[in-house]
Amino acid sequence: MSSPYDDGAAPGGAVPPPAGGPSAGSPGEAKRHAWWRPELGLSLVVFVLGVLVIVGTLDVSAASSALGLGPRFFPILVGSALIVIGAFYTLDVLRGGRGDPEESEDIDADAPADWRSVGLVSGVFLAFTALLTTLGWIVASSLLFFGLSVTLGADNKVKAAIVAVVLGVVTYVAFVRGLGVTLPGGLLQGVI
Amino acid sequence: MESFQLLLEGFSTALTPVNLLYALVGVTLGTLVGVLPGIGPAMTVALLLPITFTVPPASAFIMFAGIYYGGMYGGSTTSILLNTPGESSSMITALEGNKMARRGRAAQALATAAIGSFVAGTIATALLVVAAPLVVDFAISFGPEDYFALAILAFTAISSVLSRSMVRGLASLGLGLVIGLVGIDEQTGQARLTLGIDQLLDGIDVVVVAVGLFALGEALYVASRLRHATPEVVPVGAAWMGRSDWGRSWKPWLRGTAFGFPFGALPGGGAEIPTFLSYATEKKLAKGVAKEEYGKGAIEGVAGPEAANNASAAGTLVPLLTLGLPTSATAAIMLAAFQQYGLQPGPQLFDHNPALVWGMIASLFIGNAMLLVLNLPLAPLWARVLRIPRPYLYAGIVMFAALGVYALKSSIVDLVVLFVLGLLGYAMRRFGLPIAPAVIGMILGPMAEIQLRRALAIGAGDVTVLVKSPIAATLLALAALALLTPLFRRLWARRHVEAVTPGSRVE
Repeated sequence: MSSPYDDGAAPGGAVPPPAGGPSAGSPGEAKRHAWWRPELGLSLVVFVLGVLVIVGTLDVSAASSALGLGPRFFPILVGSALIVIGAFYTLDVLRGGRGDPEESEDIDADAPADWRSVGLVSGVFLAFTALLTTLGWIVASSLLFFGLSVTLGADNKVKAAIVAVVLGVVTYVAFVRGLGVTLPGGLLQGVI
Repeated sequence: MESFQLLLEGFSTALTPVNLLYALVGVTLGTLVGVLPGIGPAMTVALLLPITFTVPPASAFIMFAGIYYGGMYGGSTTSILLNTPGESSSMITALEGNKMARRGRAAQALATAAIGSFVAGTIATALLVVAAPLVVDFAISFGPEDYFALAILAFTAISSVLSRSMVRGLASLGLGLVIGLVGIDEQTGQARLTLGIDQLLDGIDVVVVAVGLFALGEALYVASRLRHATPEVVPVGAAWMGRSDWGRSWKPWLRGTAFGFPFGALPGGGAEIPTFLSYATEKKLAKGVAKEEYGKGAIEGVAGPEAANNASAAGTLVPLLTLGLPTSATAAIMLAAFQQYGLQPGPQLFDHNPALVWGMIASLFIGNAMLLVLNLPLAPLWARVLRIPRPYLYAGIVMFAALGVYALKSSIVDLVVLFVLGLLGYAMRRFGLPIAPAVIGMILGPMAEIQLRRALAIGAGDVTVLVKSPIAATLLALAALALLTPLFRRLWARRHVEAVTPGSRVE
C-alpha cells in the first residue's frame, strides 16, 4: 500500500530543499523554519478534513435499516481515506516532493505570489456578497467588476467604470427580462 | 439498424427551427467563451450551464451539445494564436500550431484545426451512434456492485493517470468526495456535514463547485501572479488552406481520430494521452518537407492532435450517456446537467427518453457542421477576442461566475461557498493538484455510495458480494492496477535511466 505513494523524493534521500527556493512563496518564512513549505498547509488541510468528516458525522444517528448500512458508513470510509492520503501527502512534501504550479495563458509561473492582489480580490468579492441584496444586482455587480478590474491593473479607471456599469445593466436586462432569472433589484428596484 | 432509425428521429427533433437556433446559440457562445484565455472547455460548460436551465430539456441538451463542441474549437484557436500554454488538451496543438502562425501560416493552422475537428467530430460521433447501443445492451444487466466497481475504477484512473503525482490526484479526489457528502443522505434523510446551515441541506450544487474551482480559483491564481507583459496575438485573416495542405492533413486527421475516440471513452483516458500520441506518431511518420518543418510549424502536428482532441470529446460521451460515467471534468458537469432535469444517464435513459438522447446526438452532427462554417470565416473576430484586456477579462469571469451561481437558487450562502471553493481552487492550482478528480469525485461520490449500500443490502452484509460478479471483479482489478501505475512507471524509469537523478517527476 505504501509503495505507490512515497515516490517523488529521491531514494538517495538527500535532495536538499532549496532554502527559500524559487517556488517558495515567502522566503522569509522558509528561513525561519527550514522544513516548512507552503504546500504543507494544503496537505494538512486534507488530513484535518478527514478527521473532521469522521467527527462531524458522529452525531448522525444511524437509523439504519435492518440490512442496509447507515448514513455514517460512507463518510467514515471517505474520512479514513482522506486521513491516509493526507498523511502520505504530508510525507511526500516533507521528503521534497512538489507539485507543479498549473500553467495557464495569463500566468507568470515564476513570479512571486502577489498577496496584496489576492487579498483585494477576496475583499471585493466578499463585499459584493454582503451587499448584493441591499444594493441590487446592477449596482453591486458594477462595483464588483470595477473593483476587480482596477485591482488586476486596469489603467483607465473611467473606462473601467463605464464598462462595469454597461455590463451590470446589460446582464440584468438580459437575464431578468430575457431568460427569466431572478436577480435582486435593490436600490434600483422599480427603476429598471 | 434500429439505432439508425432512432438517429433519424433525433434529426427530426434537432432540425426544427427553434432547436437549430438553440444549437447556433450554443456553438457561438461555446466558441466565444472557449476562445477566452484562461477558460478551458470544462469552465466554458460550467459557466454556461445556468443559461440552459430556462429552456425545455430537449432544447437545453441541443444547446449544451453545441457549447461542448464549441468550447473545444475555441480552445484550439487560443492555443494557435497565443504562444502561452493553455489547458492541457490543446497544449500539444500549440507546439506546432503557434510556430506555424508565427511563420505567417496562421490561416492554414486554424483551417486544418477546424476542418480536422469537423472530420474527427463527425466520424467520432458516428462511432458513438454505433457504440452506444452496444454498450447499453451490455450494461443493462449491470447490478449495483458493477456500478460501484465502475465508479471506483473511474476514481483511481483519473487520480493516477491525469496527474503526475498520484498522491496529489488522490488528495483532489478526496476533497471532491467530501464536498459530495454535504447534505441530506438520500436513503435515511439524515443531514450530514451541513454545519447547521439550512441552505446546505440540499448539498452543494455542481455549478457552484465547478465555477468555484475553475473560474474563481483561476481568477485568484491570476491575481497572484499575473503576467504583466501583454501576450502577443498573431494577426490572422479568414482561415483557409491550399491543395498541398489538404494532402498533408487528411491522413493525420484520420489517425488522430483513431487515437482520440477510444481514449476518450476510457476512464482516465482523457484528451491528453491521445493528442500526445498523435503528435508523436505524426513526427515519426513525417517525411520530406514535413520532416524538415517538424518543430518549426508542420501542419501535420496541428491536424493530428486537433482531430484526436475532438474525437476524444465524442468518445467521452459513450460512457457518459450509456453508463452515467463521467471520464473528464467536462463530462462530470454534463452529467450534473442531466441530473438538474431529473435525468440519470445510463441504459434506462436510452429506453425512457430516446427522443432526448438521439436529438442530442443528432445535434452534435449539426453543431459540428455549424462550427466549421462559423470558424473558418470568423477567425479574425476570435483573434480580436484574444486581445481583450486581462483586467476586464478576469473581472468579467468573476462577475459571470457570481451571476451563474446566484441565478441557481438566489442564495447568498451559495456565493460564500463559491468563494471558499475559489480559495481551494487557488491552492490546488498553486500546488499542482489536478482539478478534474475533485469534480468527478463530487459528482460520482454520492452515486458510488448509493450503489455500495444497495449492493451490500442485497448481499445481506456479506462483503464478498462486491466481487462476486465477474464484471465487478474485473473492474476492481483494473482499479487496483491503476493505483499501481506509479510503481510500474518507477520500475520502468529505474531500468532505463540507471544513474540519472530520479525524482524527475517532481520538477
